[in-house]
Amino acid sequence: MFFSRLIGKRLSLKGYVVAAFYILAGTLLTAPLRDVLDLSNVALLYVLAVVLTGVRYGRGVAIFAALVGSLVFAYVFVPPHFSLAITEVQYLLSAVIMLVVALLVGHVTANLRTHTEVVEAQAARNKALYEFARQLTATRSSEAVIDTSLRFLERSFAARQVHFVEPEHFDSAANALADIALIKASLERKQLLTRPTDVPAIVVAVLPLLPAESGHGVICLQVDGSQLETQAQRELLETVGSLVAVALERTHYAEVAQAAELRHAGESLRNTILSSLSHDIRTPLTALVGTADTLMLATTLSPEKQHALLYGLREQAQSINQFVNNLLDMARLQSGNVELNLAWQPIEEVVGATLQQVKSIADTREIGLAIAPGLPPVMIDAVLIERALWNLLENAIKYSPEDSPVELNIRQLGEEIDIAVCDRGEGLPTEDVEALFGLFQRGHAESSIPGAGLGLAIVKGIAEAHQGRLWATRREGGGSCFHITLPLGKTPCLGLEEDA
Amino acid sequence: MTEPERILLIEDDKRIREFVSSALEAEGYRVFEAGSAAWGATEAAKHKPHLVMLDLGLPDRDGTEFIRDFRGWSSVPILIISARTEEKGKVEALDAGADDYLTKPFGVPELLARVRALLRRAPAQRLDSNPIIRFGDFTIDCVSRTVSRNGEPIKLSQIEYRLLLAMAGNPGRVLTHRQLLIQVWGGQAAGNHEYLRVYVGHLRQKIEMNPAQPRHIQTEIGIGYRFNPDFNL
Repeated sequence: MFFSRLIGKRLSLKGYVVAAFYILAGTLLTAPLRDVLDLSNVALLYVLAVVLTGVRYGRGVAIFAALVGSLVFAYVFVPPHFSLAITEVQYLLSAVIMLVVALLVGHVTANLRTHTEVVEAQAARNKALYEFARQLTATRSSEAVIDTSLRFLERSFAARQVHFVEPEHFDSAANALADIALIKASLERKQLLTRPTDVPAIVVAVLPLLPAESGHGVICLQVDGSQLETQAQRELLETVGSLVAVALERTHYAEVAQAAELRHAGESLRNTILSSLSHDIRTPLTALVGTADTLMLATTLSPEKQHALLYGLREQAQSINQFVNNLLDMARLQSGNVELNLAWQPIEEVVGATLQQVKSIADTREIGLAIAPGLPPVMIDAVLIERALWNLLENAIKYSPEDSPVELNIRQLGEEIDIAVCDRGEGLPTEDVEALFGLFQRGHAESSIPGAGLGLAIVKGIAEAHQGRLWATRREGGGSCFHITLPLGKTPCLGLEEDA
Repeated sequence: MTEPERILLIEDDKRIREFVSSALEAEGYRVFEAGSAAWGATEAAKHKPHLVMLDLGLPDRDGTEFIRDFRGWSSVPILIISARTEEKGKVEALDAGADDYLTKPFGVPELLARVRALLRRAPAQRLDSNPIIRFGDFTIDCVSRTVSRNGEPIKLSQIEYRLLLAMAGNPGRVLTHRQLLIQVWGGQAAGNHEYLRVYVGHLRQKIEMNPAQPRHIQTEIGIGYRFNPDFNL
């Protein structure tokens, strides 16, 4: 505050010096011509000096210039020259009119200047407010609103120790800046309140956030007293307060709405799981119970028939096992705390183990394998990647004709390894391929092919746990390819023996 | 007629005990059942089984602890029965001295194949002075430290030879990453799984027809390797 006054004083001093300089210079320039120039023209020159200094430096300087100008005019130009004595009434009139005009003009221009300053300051405030409001609109959470507001206050008001205080923390020790009485008073009177501090000129301000339904919090800040001197400044701060309150309100309701939506999504997922469970577990279970009963009751069945039924029994049990495995995998992935057992390994190893397993369920099926030579090892959880590959291969086998080949192609794509399982099945749906990767999503809702729509969701979960992704493409000539793309990372340098 | 081989089955679920013992008895084995670790230990001391089948999830004790104790006084093969999602538990049990594992749910053919393989191997183990190991078209001569396929010598590095010997010397048995690392590289290398994978890759290139779909050195994902001496197991 003291500093700014000093600056103000220095500025006006400069104005007086400039005014004196204008008048002196003008006088020196026009003095030799005083016999040529008409007295009234000279007077107008002095008025010009008053206007110029008035516009630039304000009322005080304008009055100063008018007085000095009139005196110099009377002394130098009004006969008798170099004397303040004015012999003729006409000359006296000239001098007096000049003084009056100079004063009037100075007053008006100075007013104009003050007005411009006020308007400019107002415009700057409005611009800052507008910018602030725009930033608030972009925020998505209460935390972001608070953060943006605190930073704005620090920047625009040179405020320190700005912090938001929630109602439940009003009387906590963390809130050492403002006492609870000040906060309560500010909330009751619904206005900005300040309190002086031990440091002169620094005040503590409490800004209530009033319309907020989500709780009547306040913002406490330490600020230079000069920042809150005028009514306009206080109003600006209060406007900021109401902007913050409105933004908090908005994010509060947005968060409430989002929570409701999540709850709703959770509920609909639960319903899907329930209906899927009841369909996918009950169907094989029914067959299981029925077949077992048939075998027990029908004693006259031929041995071949018995064998066929027993084989079916085993198949059904295996399909339930597969489903339960998928459910367990999904539960593990969904719980969000999958601990990857990462290790560097050649992808061939995982592929080999998976194919060995696939052979056990589809030993007649032709599975083409193409692995690009010289692939670097990958950092993976082998068990999980094996599950993913198994699911893709199982899908490819399940959803394509018995006699069509399934292909497994592995190659390097830039910084990634691309594992593609391709089939000659009916291909992908025309729209929304991504939806296939969702939980309990199936290409056809009711299908005779057993499954619950968990496989691809699991593959996606596993790929993403490895910072990779799952995507699908249509194949030329029919069918589809499902790709797992995994980042390669930096291959470790192994100290291998050289005698191989 | 020779006396039937004795198998001790330690499993707390009665239904699984029933079906496993009836499957084994149908094959001519003599089966003793136990529903807990303590009961199992008593039965083992009483009947001196040729093979122990052990469920890892027992009510009274951790299966791995049981294996450690059991290995203190017996070297008969142990076949673990475990649920699918317990890779870590399986590895621990194998490291503790178990020989192989079966994952629930398992089929009877699989069960019988494992039991036969373990029982067949057991007497052979005592003949470990035999310096020649044969598998498929290959012959390992442990005296001259050479490997040949149909009489044609195959060039292997020191480590590749030791790795092949470690696996081929334990046919049909699951060897964990850790066990192989300690046996081939020594105790300080027990954590360096990358070494093992790289050398297994090299070895497969040299002895497998199709290294991507190996027949002899089979991968047990998340656990280790199993050496299959012939093509049709």
